[in-house]
Amino acid sequence: MRRSIEPLAVGKVIGDVLDMFSPTLEFTVHYGSKQVANGCEIKPSAAANKPKVQLSGSRLSNNLYTLVMTDPDAPSPSEPTMREWLHWIVVDIAEGSDATKGKELVSYMGPRPPTGIHRYVFTLFQQKGPITEETRPPDARGSFNTRNFAAQNGLGLPVAAVYFNAQKEPATRKR
Amino acid sequence: MAWSTCTATTSCLGGGGGGVNAWSMMSLKSALPSIPTTRTPSLRFPLGPHSPSCQVKFTHRKTPKALLPSYTGLSMQSTLPSFGSHGDSTSFEHNFIIIDNGSRFFAMRHGKKVPKLNRPPDQRRALLRGLTTQLLKHGRIKTTRARASAMRKYVDKMVTLAKDGSLHKRRQALGFIYEKQIVHALFAEVQDRYGDRNGGYTRIIRTLPRRGDNAPMAYIELV
Repeated sequence: MRRSIEPLAVGKVIGDVLDMFSPTLEFTVHYGSKQVANGCEIKPSAAANKPKVQLSGSRLSNNLYTLVMTDPDAPSPSEPTMREWLHWIVVDIAEGSDATKGKELVSYMGPRPPTGIHRYVFTLFQQKGPITEETRPPDARGSFNTRNFAAQNGLGLPVAAVYFNAQKEPATRKR
Repeated sequence: MAWSTCTATTSCLGGGGGGVNAWSMMSLKSALPSIPTTRTPSLRFPLGPHSPSCQVKFTHRKTPKALLPSYTGLSMQSTLPSFGSHGDSTSFEHNFIIIDNGSRFFAMRHGKKVPKLNRPPDQRRALLRGLTTQLLKHGRIKTTRARASAMRKYVDKMVTLAKDGSLHKRRQALGFIYEKQIVHALFAEVQDRYGDRNGGYTRIIRTLPRRGDNAPMAYIELV
């Protein structure tokens, strides 16, 4: 299990966004046909719509999960003044199902990196129980903190994470 | 300069019969200072008929025996092919012989760690300047692994100049980075970002190869 979080440590996702954790669940994220692998480059146009997130595990258990997608390099990796930028929160995802079955707390916003190459991190937390009404969605998308969000809602350490890179596409096609 | 008073009028008739044609031009250039070679003294002097014209100029020439062990002066190199293979010549680009490694010249590149990046030196320097400018501007760039690992030295140098912060260092940085806004921004914020860190201001993350030519790519980012 150590090997799957090494790319996260190398890409400094563990450190900037998350704390060190031991992955206990596997999940896959697909944008169309492209699967998100740690550190791979995905175009913002391909990521404009929400991805298919599939959790592994059996349907029988009652665990519920929360998925958070943030960008720690907003607005630019050299000066991340708005770290992190929140893109998506889905709660109450049952184990073994996909993100459409959950409740979308913050609607999906596609990556729009203005400058530089940004990392986009998907983090999965295990919930203790169904999310009650007391958890309000954050007011603003900027200056979000995944650690604080997890602490406030009692989510603990993440159970899985993956990230990809995206940069602004050139406006006109190269001739 | 290698002017030395010389009394070498004795062996002007020493005369090697072998190098007549090759050395006849030497008399014309003997007014110029020349590096004494390690060749046999007999070849250094023209034959008798030329010697009267040379004798005046011999006073400027060194004795063949009194060779300096490591000669570091500059002098005009004659264009004779016989001068072409000096044992201590390291430069072929201009007519001045500059020796800076103790008169040692190797035909191979063993142990020299400068990355050449398949470019001539001026273009190489421009490439590295451009890459460091872009990295300091964007924070993270994607390029080939060879270029990323060649850049590290220059990025660290720029951050070190910024950490010093004096006017002289700022001007040195302005002479390297192509955009002056980036230099000023770097000098302003480097203390907060890298004040505690000693060196190693970049990180390289290898990634998938490029589709067009399968070149190994890497992200390089400021730590």
